[in-house]
Amino acid sequence: MEAKKVTAEAKVLLDPAASEWGQVAAETISMGGTPVAQQPSRYIRTSWSDRPIGNVRSLTVRSAHNSKEVFFLLEWSDPTKNDGYVGRDFPDGAGILFPLKGDAPLQSMGRQSQAVNAWFWRADFEDGAKNVTASGIGTVEETEKSAVAARGQWQDGTWRVVFARPLAVAEQKEQAVQLEAGQSVKVAFAIWEGSSGERAGIKSFSKTWRELTLEG
Amino acid sequence: MVISKEDLMKSERQAAMVFDLNKCIGCQTCSVACKVLWTREDGMDYQWWCTVNTQPGRGAPKDWEQMGGGYRDGVPNPGIIPTREECGGGWDFNYDEVFYGGKGRSVHLHPIGEAPTWGPNWDEDQGGGEYPNSFFFYLPRLCNHCTRPVCVEACPRNAMYKRNEDGVVLRDETRCRGYRFCLEACPYKKIYFNYAKKISQHCIFCFPRIEKGVAPACARQCPGRLVFVGFLDDVDGPIHKLVREWEVAIPLHPEYGTGPNVFYIPPLAPYRLNEDGSIDETTPRIPTEYLEKLFGPRVNKALDTLKAEMAKTKNGGKSDLMNMLIVYHWHELFGPFTKDPAELTWK
Repeated sequence: MEAKKVTAEAKVLLDPAASEWGQVAAETISMGGTPVAQQPSRYIRTSWSDRPIGNVRSLTVRSAHNSKEVFFLLEWSDPTKNDGYVGRDFPDGAGILFPLKGDAPLQSMGRQSQAVNAWFWRADFEDGAKNVTASGIGTVEETEKSAVAARGQWQDGTWRVVFARPLAVAEQKEQAVQLEAGQSVKVAFAIWEGSSGERAGIKSFSKTWRELTLEG
Repeated sequence: MVISKEDLMKSERQAAMVFDLNKCIGCQTCSVACKVLWTREDGMDYQWWCTVNTQPGRGAPKDWEQMGGGYRDGVPNPGIIPTREECGGGWDFNYDEVFYGGKGRSVHLHPIGEAPTWGPNWDEDQGGGEYPNSFFFYLPRLCNHCTRPVCVEACPRNAMYKRNEDGVVLRDETRCRGYRFCLEACPYKKIYFNYAKKISQHCIFCFPRIEKGVAPACARQCPGRLVFVGFLDDVDGPIHKLVREWEVAIPLHPEYGTGPNVFYIPPLAPYRLNEDGSIDETTPRIPTEYLEKLFGPRVNKALDTLKAEMAKTKNGGKSDLMNMLIVYHWHELFGPFTKDPAELTWK
């Protein structure tokens, strides 16, 4: 996939309904549930052994950059808007994952020597998205600061969420993926459907790394 | 470093409590003592780490015994998350209107907003049975600080653990992400979600108090003086004697498989009355099957021992067990935790 070079500013592209997004080609990504055998606790493996994981099976992604910031627009169908902890439900969420080092494995969210960086948006976050790192399942840690902005909008059964971040984050060399125009990086996506009890490792994900090229 | 659940669950010693249900008057002082001390912050308004419910009853949260969790044949058993509505409570009342609005005589105190449908002691004093053989008793409940805590087992982030020195089950709130797997897994439904902090929380056995030799608030404040606190391995302490030697203190729902460390002296009840008003000495008013359902089959032996020891004293004899349960000296309840919190300096 390609992050198209555009001229629009962040304040424009952060609006999921901005007409500028119409100029950016969409790619549809097939999603699947995370394997139950890989869930990090015996309780979770047992209690989800006969429950379907990964409610959202298709994700539409658009990506762009304006030489300063990179943007992703994620769209998926979800008939239930969950933006808080109501009853037994969880807030809906979305994540974008990058390897921080070489061949970090996707399914295990990295490993000890090969960390990954995720941008995590959740429908109940007041503002923006978290920047997290992980080096294996169950090791997700939020970094103190996050340079990731995000804005979500739910309308007529569809979530549209924009992530935005400066291409480079100089003060987070070890904690945030560093991007530049003309470069290619691996990227993966995850979606949580809160009314199906999806949270933590219970989610749908894009199963393999995709190659994302930032147009030079 | 890989941390195993076994490591997180083990402890060298185990602190425990015994509640003598024959003395509990359902006054809720334990509930309030805990509430005032620990759950007054935002997001905790509906949390009651200690609750007292009338049995038989649907309890708190509503119908918690039907919510699953625990272990079955050693395997974690799926459970459901109790909702805020099922817990109830945390209501705001029209205090301003009644007390300061000049309407004290025309308006009565009521919760603001939607009418509540359940609360922490919603079915208080309803009980069971039919007059003249109706019956009820009170059951105080808190986190059982289990020997095999399935909440610890459930957490995907290893945020929960048993403290090595006393087996108290704690949570590292900086690791907790509010995924609520622990709420699902706990069969006693004694973990609460904090809606402000978006993490889960539960009874901490007043660990900052016990570290200073002070008994937990629920135990120390109990006007009925019915809560014993101590270490299970302290062979001279009442906990060991009641649980291990006399075997009159037994856990609630042992079949849940988590090995609770809160124990109960089961309730004795008056005999049934026949229709002609005579006493039926062969039938207890609280049905045995009901007590077995709550405390397992060991409840029968416990009740038999209690009855036999009571009979001994009635006949002029001496019973160490009865003396222990009478608690002639208040401090005998608290094992190594007899310090007065008012005499300590708290940081």
